[in-house]
Amino acid sequence: MLLRRAAALLALVLTACARSSTGDSVLVVLDPSLDKDAYSTFWAGLTDKGYNLTFRTAKEAQPEIIQDEVAQFSHVVVFAPESKNLAQDLTPQALVSLLDKGTNLLLALSPSKQTTINTLASEFSLVLPPPGTPLISHFPARDAPATVVPVSPPAAHPVLSSGLPPVWFSGVPFAYTPNPLLIPILSAPAESFAADTSSDSGADAVFESADRAGEGLWAGSSLSLVAGFQATTGARVTFVGGVETFSDEFAQKELPQGKSSGNKQFAEDVAGWTFQETNALRIDKVEHHRVNETEPREMYTTNDNVVFTLHVSKFNPIKDTWEPYSGIKDMQLEFTMLDPHIRTSLPPIPGKAGEYSVAFRVPDRHGVFKFVVNHKRKGWTHLESTTVVPVVPPRHDEYPRFLSAAWPYYIGAMSTSAAFVLFVALWLSGDDREGRKKGLKTE
Amino acid sequence: MRLSFVLLSSLLAAGEAFAGQLSIQQARFSVLGSDASQLRLEPISLAPANKAKPVHLGASDTLKLTFTVVAKEQDPDAEPKGLQTHQTFVRFHDVQSGEEGVVPVRVAQNGKAKFELNMARPPSALPPTPLQGNETAPLSVTLLLGSFEHSPYSLELFDLYLPPSQPAPEHPDEKTFHSQPEIHHTFRPEQKVPSKFVSGLAALIVAGGPWVVLLGLLSQVPLSTPHLLSPSVLPFTISLTALEALLFYYWVDLKLGQVLAYGAVLGLVTTITGRQALQKRGEWRLQGAQKK
Repeated sequence: MLLRRAAALLALVLTACARSSTGDSVLVVLDPSLDKDAYSTFWAGLTDKGYNLTFRTAKEAQPEIIQDEVAQFSHVVVFAPESKNLAQDLTPQALVSLLDKGTNLLLALSPSKQTTINTLASEFSLVLPPPGTPLISHFPARDAPATVVPVSPPAAHPVLSSGLPPVWFSGVPFAYTPNPLLIPILSAPAESFAADTSSDSGADAVFESADRAGEGLWAGSSLSLVAGFQATTGARVTFVGGVETFSDEFAQKELPQGKSSGNKQFAEDVAGWTFQETNALRIDKVEHHRVNETEPREMYTTNDNVVFTLHVSKFNPIKDTWEPYSGIKDMQLEFTMLDPHIRTSLPPIPGKAGEYSVAFRVPDRHGVFKFVVNHKRKGWTHLESTTVVPVVPPRHDEYPRFLSAAWPYYIGAMSTSAAFVLFVALWLSGDDREGRKKGLKTE
Repeated sequence: MRLSFVLLSSLLAAGEAFAGQLSIQQARFSVLGSDASQLRLEPISLAPANKAKPVHLGASDTLKLTFTVVAKEQDPDAEPKGLQTHQTFVRFHDVQSGEEGVVPVRVAQNGKAKFELNMARPPSALPPTPLQGNETAPLSVTLLLGSFEHSPYSLELFDLYLPPSQPAPEHPDEKTFHSQPEIHHTFRPEQKVPSKFVSGLAALIVAGGPWVVLLGLLSQVPLSTPHLLSPSVLPFTISLTALEALLFYYWVDLKLGQVLAYGAVLGLVTTITGRQALQKRGEWRLQGAQKK
C-alpha cells in the first residue's frame, strides 16, 4: 500500500517536471564528428525544462526509436550534417512514420553533403540548392566570415519570442513551394544569397548560376533558414539550415553592434515549438442544445434555434497544465450537409474562460448535418471537430394546431358536434308527443 | 560617450577588415520604348534625399541601368578604381506583401556594369506586380554591392511601376488557413395566410348562420323536455359530450394510442348508457300508448 502510494507520488513528480504537451523523452542523434559539448547550452536548456535526453550517434542502432511499432521517444533531434546515410531506423520513410505516430522531429540540414535529411526536406515542400552552396551575406560589414551571417528574426512571429535580437546563422538556405502546413520561422536577410564561391573572382559564377537549372538565383528574403512543418497528425518537424545555430559558439558570439546574440533564446523557442510546448491547443468538449434547453437532442428539427459551444485549452509549459484559452478571435463554425449551409464566427464568451459559443437557426432543409470546427492557423495546433446531427422536418404533432386561415373549418366541425349533442339531448328528453296526440284523440 | 566609443571601435574594426568602401560612379538609367526610342534618361544620385521620381514601364518598354563599381580607398585623395564585386544584385521588393525578386548584374573586370529589364521578356525572378485596389503599386528597386574585400554598399534607386501581372501562385488549401467568408442560409419565406379579420369573419358566418336558423326554427316549435335530467337519459348525454370532448382534445394534444384507449372505455360507457336511454325511451312510448 505504502509502496503504491510512493510510486503514485513519484509519477506525479515526474509528470510535473515534463514541459511538453506530448512527453519529455528526447532522442538526440549526433554525428560522430560533432562535439556534443559544443552544444552544451542547448542541451542544458532542454534538461532544465525537464526533458530526458538520450544521446546516440548516427550509425548506432541502439536505442531503437520504434520498438514493436511503438515510438519510444516523444521527440527526436537529428544533428548529423556530415553523415550521408543514417541508421536503419532513421531513413526518410522511418522519420515520416515517426511523424505519423506523433513524434516531433528537429532536423539539421547539411550545407555540404546530399544527406538523407536533405532528400527528406524536399518531401516537405522545401527546395534546397545544390550541395556546397552555403548562405553568404556581405551585409553588414563585420569581422566574421561572409558565411556567418547575423539574421534579424521577424518582429512578430507566432513561434518566436518578441524582441529577439539578431541570430547568428551559418548553413544552407532553402526555397519553398507554397504549402500552408509549412511555417517559415527564420527568413534569410534580403541582401544574402547562396553561392559556392569564396572570392570576388567568383562574380561571374554567381551571375551565371542565375541562368542555371532554371531555379534562378538563390537570393533574398524569400529564402528560409529555419522552417517548421506541422503534419496533419499534429506532430511537428523543424528543418534547420545549419546546426551551428544551436551551438555555444554562436550563443556567445557578439553581434556586429556589440550586443549579445539571440541564438540561445531562438534555439529554445524553436525547440519549444517543435516539441509542442508552445502554441499547443486542444478541444476539451463540444456541446450543442436548443436555445433555453441544456441537454443535447438526438436530432434537431428544421428551423430550431440551436446553441453550439466549444471548450478549448492551451498547454501552459511553465505550469505543465492545460488551461482554458479564450485567445482565438477568428474561430468559425460550419453547419454542413455536403457543403456548408451556414458558416458563422464562433466567438469566445467573455467571462467564461475557454468557451466559444454561437446560437443560430437550423436551415429549413432536412438531412444529416455536421457541426464542423476546422480551425487551422500557421504555427498553432489545428483544431478539428465534427459532430453529426440529423435534422428532420417537424413530426405530425409538431405543427401548429390552430391556423388562423382554417378557423371556419374548426368552428364548423365543432358547431356540428355541438348541434348533434343538442339534438340527441332534445330528442331523448322530449315528450312522447305521438302518444299524447293519440290520447287527446281518444278523450 | 561609451556608445560612441563602441561605434567608433566597431567602425575601426570594419576598416581594419576591409580595404575600402564600395560605391558606384557614372550611374544613370534610361527607359526605352518598344521602337528603341529613349523615353527618359536620368543620372542616379547617390544621396538618398535625391531619389529619382518613380519610373513607369509599359508592357514592351525596356529599363536600362549602367554604372561603374568602384572602391573608395581609405585615403580620400586616392582615385577610386573600378573593380568586379562578388555580389552585384538588383533587388525588386514589394513592401506590402514582402514578395521579392533578386536579379544579378554582370560586372566587367574594370567595374563597368549594365543591367537591362525588358518587359517583353521579364526575368522569372521578378515578383508579381503589387496591386492596391485596382491600381498597380510600385516595387522598390535597390542596388546591392557586396565583396569579400570591401565594405558592402546598398542604394535605393527608385520606385518602379510595372504592367499588371499574374498574381503569385497560391496553394489550393491556403484559404482554409484564414478566416473564410461567412455563409448565411436563405430560408423559405413564411407561408402567406389571409388576414385574421377575414378568417374570423368567415368563422363567424360558418358558426353563426346555421345556429341562428336552428335556434330560430326551434323557437317556433313548442319544446318540452321533461326527461332532460332523467337518470336514464342524462348519463348518455354526458358520455356523448365526453366523447366529443375527447375527439377535440385529440386534435389539440393527445396521441392516437391514448385516444383509442380512452375512446374504447368511453365508447363502452356510451353504448351502455345509450342502450339504457333508448330502452327507457321505448318504455315511455309504450306507456303513452297504454294510456290511450
